Amino acid sequence: MRFRAKIVDGACLNHFTRISNMIAKLAKTCTLRISPDKLNFILCDKLANGGVSMWCELEQENFFNEYQMEGVSAENNEIYLELTSENLSRALKTAQNARALKIKLTNKHFPCLTVSVELLSMSSSSRIVTHDIPIKVIPRKLWKDLQEPVVPDPDFFSFCLPFLRLCKILNLQVIEANLDGELNLKIETELVCVTTHFKDLGNPPLGKCSSGLYFAFVHIDIRKLLQFLAGQQVNPTKALCNIVNNKMVHFDLLHEDVSLQYFIPALS
Amino acid sequence: MAAMLKCVMSGSQVKVFGKAVQALSRISDELWLDPSKKGLALRCVNSSRSAYGCVLFSPVFFQHYQWSALVKMSENELDTTLNLKCKLGMKSILPIFRCLNSLERNIEKCKIFTRSDKCKVVIQFFYRHDLSNAVYSEMFVGSDEFDFFQIGMDTEITFCFKELKGILTFSEATHAPISIYFDFPGKPLALSIDDMLVEANFILATLADESSRASSPQSLCLSQKRKRSDLIKKKAGKNITGQALECISRKAAPRRLYPKETLTNISALENCGSPAMKRANGDVSEVSENSVSNTEEVPGSLCLRKCDAEKNLMEVMPNISVLPDIEQYPPLPRQPEFGVE
Repeated sequence: MRFRAKIVDGACLNHFTRISNMIAKLAKTCTLRISPDKLNFILCDKLANGGVSMWCELEQENFFNEYQMEGVSAENNEIYLELTSENLSRALKTAQNARALKIKLTNKHFPCLTVSVELLSMSSSSRIVTHDIPIKVIPRKLWKDLQEPVVPDPDFFSFCLPFLRLCKILNLQVIEANLDGELNLKIETELVCVTTHFKDLGNPPLGKCSSGLYFAFVHIDIRKLLQFLAGQQVNPTKALCNIVNNKMVHFDLLHEDVSLQYFIPALS
Repeated sequence: MAAMLKCVMSGSQVKVFGKAVQALSRISDELWLDPSKKGLALRCVNSSRSAYGCVLFSPVFFQHYQWSALVKMSENELDTTLNLKCKLGMKSILPIFRCLNSLERNIEKCKIFTRSDKCKVVIQFFYRHDLSNAVYSEMFVGSDEFDFFQIGMDTEITFCFKELKGILTFSEATHAPISIYFDFPGKPLALSIDDMLVEANFILATLADESSRASSPQSLCLSQKRKRSDLIKKKAGKNITGQALECISRKAAPRRLYPKETLTNISALENCGSPAMKRANGDVSEVSENSVSNTEEVPGSLCLRKCDAEKNLMEVMPNISVLPDIEQYPPLPRQPEFGVE
């Protein structure tokens, strides 16, 4: 197994750092999947995560000007690593205004992802900061649990969320939406019920919907939604929200070169 | 045989123990440690004798509990048994048990040890090494980034980064260069800022005994192949210019990192108060910026101040104002079991 990649473009480096920060906010531990064309940050829907799952995908050629990898075998040309997300984002913190960033898979007494940052310095030679992030290699037999989640045909529909940011200031518990481009975010307690109405949201002609229902509901844990929203550092260029009635809500965001899918299950 | 106490606690036990100390600290400024077969009693009474507290930890509270009393043999064969009489100032012991939640999380075990014939109580914290998640970071800084860089031989020292960070933050505010002096592991590391307006000196202990360091899990992360010295020096602005500095800069070219010639007449920085120890293969030294002006008249020399072997750390840096507690109680070399932060 081999992996070596290099970023020299400042904008790409900053973008990669922001993605890493976002992942660190969404998942304490995650899986990094390295394949010839893509990098994925994966969180699978285990009980430990509260049933939440995440699939973040980036095209490697949009970030790295050098990228070489060799998977576990020729037929399975992929690498799955488990790491603590915060370790990567903290290592990348030193990469602000760096000349170059190199990431490679190494074995320094135990498997590591070595992040090597070449900093500008006053002298002719560069200052190099190296971080060895411990990782666990995930064996082939567990890969099947880490595949891209299939979005079940939504009971309702998907629609665009241009104003994702606004959701942050609300306490949300229920999301309901309908075909007319209306989204309601509701919180209900014994004493009070607060509803926020969003209108005129687009309905892309994707997903099917059940004809009988006027609104699709899903009852979710506020904290999971807030955690998801807190991780968003940049307004996405496109945001879709799919609701599977009483089952889950699926967010599909597109930020420039990165797509992020986030699944929040309904409270049982 | 002296009266003694030796006990070992886990992280969660330390929390309870620490809470007891905190509770007793509200009563008195003095704490008695009183071990017996019933267990370890922490006792105190206030100065006006209006409040008394005693917390007795039974032997089974501890992971390990060992104690003994002093048996005094007398002529008439009536032996007297004297229990350990150990009184501590709350001011000394309270800070140790301050961040109890952090201790509970991070401490593997805590050892307390004292003997009646020694005038100290030793409390040792052994931190958990979470190898599985420890990130090892290394920064390489070339010698040409420094105003002055002279190393006698390849050196690797370990010290507390948190303390260094504080010092570096301060130095940024002063905009003055820092000089760093160090020697082999176990000897103190000294950082010195000296300009017209501000003079600051910080002394940090370093981990001693390289060979036992190799057995500590944390050093597995340290690249054993690292040969270069990690000398860190901030160059916030040159305030000394002139020929002497140029001379030094030239002489501090990278090739001097591996001098074939040994540097003679340079003594190592000594442990305060301990006898001079010369090293066989050349000594390490570093000259501060303030001594540059002293050597202006000898530009051709090595530009290093000759330090007498007998001089202690304080005398090497002549401008330090009196630091009475440092002079009397120099930082001891950190033994590997000291408790890595």
